[in-house]
Amino acid sequence: MRYQREIIGLLGFSLVLGALYFSLIETGPAKFFTAPNAQKLFYLHVPSGLITYLAFLMVVGGSMVFLYNGSEDADKLAKSSTELGIVFGFMSLASGTFWMKAEWGGDIVSRFLTDMRLATTLAMWLLYIAYFVYRRQPDTQQVKVNAAVLGLSGLLMVPLSYLSSRFLRSHHPVIVGTEDQGSLDPSLRFGLYLGLFGFLFIFIFLLKFRMEIEEMERDILRSKMEKI
Amino acid sequence: MRLLALFLTILLFSGSSLAECRNKDCMTAQFELETMGHTFHYDEVFNIGTNWYIIFDYPENNTNKTITFEFYNGISKVHEYDNDLVTDSISFSGSTFNEEKLNLVLNITITNEDNSTSDFNLKIDINKPPADDLFYLWGGMTVFWTAIGAYVLYISSKFTKLRDK
Repeated sequence: MRYQREIIGLLGFSLVLGALYFSLIETGPAKFFTAPNAQKLFYLHVPSGLITYLAFLMVVGGSMVFLYNGSEDADKLAKSSTELGIVFGFMSLASGTFWMKAEWGGDIVSRFLTDMRLATTLAMWLLYIAYFVYRRQPDTQQVKVNAAVLGLSGLLMVPLSYLSSRFLRSHHPVIVGTEDQGSLDPSLRFGLYLGLFGFLFIFIFLLKFRMEIEEMERDILRSKMEKI
Repeated sequence: MRLLALFLTILLFSGSSLAECRNKDCMTAQFELETMGHTFHYDEVFNIGTNWYIIFDYPENNTNKTITFEFYNGISKVHEYDNDLVTDSISFSGSTFNEEKLNLVLNITITNEDNSTSDFNLKIDINKPPADDLFYLWGGMTVFWTAIGAYVLYISSKFTKLRDK
């Protein structure tokens, strides 16, 4: 379908605008929070965190398939997802830092060093920064294989980051799979879903765009090689 | 990018927005319980989000066992006397209350070693200060649009360059 990618992007953008309208205008300042205004970051902070996990899991999946059968498409997916995971991871980490400063106060650096959710998420993000930097060199077969092995580390890092607030020392709240999930206010849930689907569509839009660029880059490289 | 770095630097070095004072000098009210020989120093206003302290001087010949502080909503704290101290204090977390209220009763019960008790009430106001967290809200919101915007610009310019080739 023509303009399919653009329609997905527009839909995502509209849903995120809806989440912003809902969180900033429709609902008033949050109760039971030290920082009732900064709590509004929840509607985009949580979705960006979940999309980060999705992106890095796609890197893991792509790397696995590439190592298994050498699929070029799987390698393209892993490479493109890494960039998006870094972007959404930055959004999640930075917005979380602003919210944390307002809600919990204290020193940011020591929080990142002592709270295991923050520490493991930052470590996961830095690992994929390393992947991104590594892939800035020409795409030889050896580079792709090494990158795929590095990409597989998400197999450990993603669950570690996600589960750290349940099993390790952390102030970070846990909602999914706990009693709090059922008691989540319906209006809160609605705003969260708007943000989540909004970011999901934006992610799909950007991923399709990035993979198209990756395809173009490889075509150019291929034609250059043929000339040689 | 520079703006973002500036934001993060300010955030990193800014202190906590909540100022707390635990000295007697900061307390706006004082109550002397002459029968028991105690003096209580406290702030008549409980600011939501900031820990609230009550400081008390022990009587000279202390024969008390515990002192209980209980708000109307059942939130209470029991403090055991430490005979080595002259002055002691307890605190209630800033998240104890979430709504404004005037003339809130705090019941204080002193229990003696023979388990006899004497109690009295203090009245304080619960104040909800205007939130000063808008900077953090807009800082956090800026992150989303800056990140997505910068990435779209990055891949768009890359796309244009490749298309020209």
